[in-house]
Amino acid sequence: MSASRLPEVLTVAELVHHGPLAKARMLADVILDAQVRYVVLVSDLDQTLSCLPNTAIVLHTPAAQGGWALESALRAAWERTAACVIAPADSTVSRSTIALAERLNVPLFVVEGDPAQHALELAAAVASPGAARARLAARCASAISEQTSLRGIVGVINTELPGTSVALVGEDGQVLAGKAAAVGGQVRVPVLTLDGKPWAHLVARLSAPSPSGTETVTTILRLARAPLAASAAKPKLALARRGAQERLLLEALLSGRPDADTEQAARVLGWRFDERNVAVVLRPVVGAPLIDPDIATAGVLAGWGEVFADRPLVPHGDGWVSWWSGPELTANQVMSRLRRRLPRIRCAVPLSAGLGEPAEGVHGLRRSMHEAALACAVAIRSGAGAVESFDALGPRVVLASLRNDELITAAQTALAVLLDSADGDVLIRTLCAVLDCGGSTTQAAARLGVHRNTISGRLDRIRARGIAFDDPDRRLALHVACFVLLGERAAAPPDGSSGGAA
Amino acid sequence: MNVVTAEDLPALAAGAHLLASGAGRTDIDGVLHWLSALLCERGPVPLVQPDELPSDTACAAIGLVGSVTALAELPMVGDEPLQVVRALEARLDTALGAVAALDAATVNALTPVAAAASLGLPLVDCDGMGRVFPLIHQTSFALAGRSLTPLAAVGATADTLVLDATPERAERLLRAAVNVSGGWMLTAIYPTTAARLLSAGIVGSISRAIAVGRALLDAADIDDLTMRLKALVDSRVLGTGRIVELEHRTRPADIGHPAYPSSIVVRSRAEPVRSIRLEAQNELLLALIDGAVAAAVPDIICLLDPQDGHVLDVESVTLGTEVQVVVVPAADVWYTPQGLDLVGPRSFGFPLDGTGRQGGLKPMFRRDSRPRHDLTDAVADLDQGGKAEVE
Repeated sequence: MSASRLPEVLTVAELVHHGPLAKARMLADVILDAQVRYVVLVSDLDQTLSCLPNTAIVLHTPAAQGGWALESALRAAWERTAACVIAPADSTVSRSTIALAERLNVPLFVVEGDPAQHALELAAAVASPGAARARLAARCASAISEQTSLRGIVGVINTELPGTSVALVGEDGQVLAGKAAAVGGQVRVPVLTLDGKPWAHLVARLSAPSPSGTETVTTILRLARAPLAASAAKPKLALARRGAQERLLLEALLSGRPDADTEQAARVLGWRFDERNVAVVLRPVVGAPLIDPDIATAGVLAGWGEVFADRPLVPHGDGWVSWWSGPELTANQVMSRLRRRLPRIRCAVPLSAGLGEPAEGVHGLRRSMHEAALACAVAIRSGAGAVESFDALGPRVVLASLRNDELITAAQTALAVLLDSADGDVLIRTLCAVLDCGGSTTQAAARLGVHRNTISGRLDRIRARGIAFDDPDRRLALHVACFVLLGERAAAPPDGSSGGAA
Repeated sequence: MNVVTAEDLPALAAGAHLLASGAGRTDIDGVLHWLSALLCERGPVPLVQPDELPSDTACAAIGLVGSVTALAELPMVGDEPLQVVRALEARLDTALGAVAALDAATVNALTPVAAAASLGLPLVDCDGMGRVFPLIHQTSFALAGRSLTPLAAVGATADTLVLDATPERAERLLRAAVNVSGGWMLTAIYPTTAARLLSAGIVGSISRAIAVGRALLDAADIDDLTMRLKALVDSRVLGTGRIVELEHRTRPADIGHPAYPSSIVVRSRAEPVRSIRLEAQNELLLALIDGAVAAAVPDIICLLDPQDGHVLDVESVTLGTEVQVVVVPAADVWYTPQGLDLVGPRSFGFPLDGTGRQGGLKPMFRRDSRPRHDLTDAVADLDQGGKAEVE
């Protein structure tokens, strides 16, 4: 009943999982990684003493009558490094026998029916490991096809492959699904997105590596690539739904303590945030036409996707947020990319952008995003394509965060005497520059590019209209009013040169 | 010339209990009292060696066949030894000059003394088993070609049976008679001469039983007992532990054997923890340590109470009982090929070859393959374990 020596052999685990031992009842909880090279049907216990290593010992009823016989067979199997002991169902198996099998680490099975028939089936499987593995691959393919999620697909592979740990690992080394124990395993199969870009790897670690086992596992992992890519692409296919879902996910991520599931879901979407992050907030410029938010979001996401490919862009507040991530990332790098590419975004909404400071991890991303929102509040006053960074703006972002619409009304009322005059814009710009420069007419003149006397003349006209900008009680309010009005009129062309003639 | 006195009886009974290899001594106190009174009345029984008698002295073995439990329920009235010997003498037409023991174990170490005292004959210091076996043809007498018939038997109701048959038929006929006559019969069996007893019997077995019994009764503690038994009978300890499994009818029974098979599993106390499996059928027949055969019939496998050194029966132990498993080598004759054919493991349904002689630690299996773990490792482990127990 012995099979000929084979270059490739099945393990007990393989026989249990997709071989004849699938019908057997395993009694001892032991490791099943022993290889099975031979099968011997034993009707006299003496035969166990001549079996070779890696033999599956099938006990015929005469050799399995009584616990002592089973224990003798287990002992002989241990001494001969046999692969396992298989007893007929009518043999007496007590707890002490099972305990002995576990102590000796000899797998012990009980099979129904004729042991001789079972030995024949085992011998056939052992003689033809290729056929057994092909059956396994076919079964895996069938099981994978029934799964739709990443976890489901990788879970099925883990279940179907005995003694093997499998995981789906992202490009950054994060485990997206499966067993962490698989990371660094012998088998590594790249998984691409549907449009052929690198996305992740399927890795597998075999507890009992063999060339044939590795090949089988590789085959099955390859079978799983396309379903995995399809599963990963599915969320991206529904753009509108994607926007809403990602918005919720981002809010959950930026909440106080995101849970592991949230972080895992973010990683599945390809979001990276473990290194230095620079957040970017996009908003329609001041004065942009009002568009339904859903339509605007769809348009902005589509336009962004064309220019920035897989860079995330998620609806957030009254704009959209994105972020760059990298170990040595600086705000200037992001700034230059944005300035170069932001004008290329083709959509009905003219956009401006604000950048936050680089910061580490999820918490840093949250802070950077807040800074970017403040910078963006300034940027939207400067017209389409404007990009402002929190770092460059400094404290001015404080003013940018004030409620603009109410302030504008108040400022227009307070400075109505200036606005109503023909040179109102010039006077307000001059007043703002003088206040910016701490009352120095020389510095204000240099800033506006006019002569100092021009400044003095304009200030006289301002005083003549009853604006007491020298009064310390009113200076701050006037300064803010000027800032707001200038922001509101930012789209208007500068008036420095004409002011010079006044 | 030695004698067996009433004072020797407790030691004889204790030694006979150990040599019973786990078989029950269910209440032989009645027999002991009766025999004690008999010896007090008739005086000590001369204990002679076979060569101390004229070579042509007619002899026969005396032994009880059947259940000791039945004997406790339906005791002897006292004239059975006389009756059974007279019946055999009548059949042989010869008066016996001495009696011997069928087996110097259990109650059968006492019945020949009773017969000798009743008849005023000397007791030959030999028996046919050196321990106890379940069948009456499993004797050194049979091994030496002595016929167990003609035999005489007397039952509890004074039925007297004289049987002439082949040994195999005699066994079955006698068992049938025992069943209908109350569960036991006292037999006078294997009629022979003193000269033939010298070669066919296991000489010294009565003295041995008394010596073993004295060790059991006099030992200060279990360690002292272990050392005494080692010196006396070359015994060894397989392990000490708690009984964790106790099952009956665990393997197919040979219909030719009385009693049902049972199994006892002892988990040893010492590290590393080992599982000692004992297979019994009335007597303890096989001991495996972690699946490796450590002792097998004809080895005498016994259970002792590790607290006080008392002999424990297979039938008296329960789950949780603390036991010490001890192996005593049987008589040399049983380790010959012919002896093993008659009383070796295979004759009790254990398909094992080889010999468990002298501790059974010698591999019972042929070593003709390429083992990674050699049995000798296990033997070394066990030897160390055994010594540790002794020390």
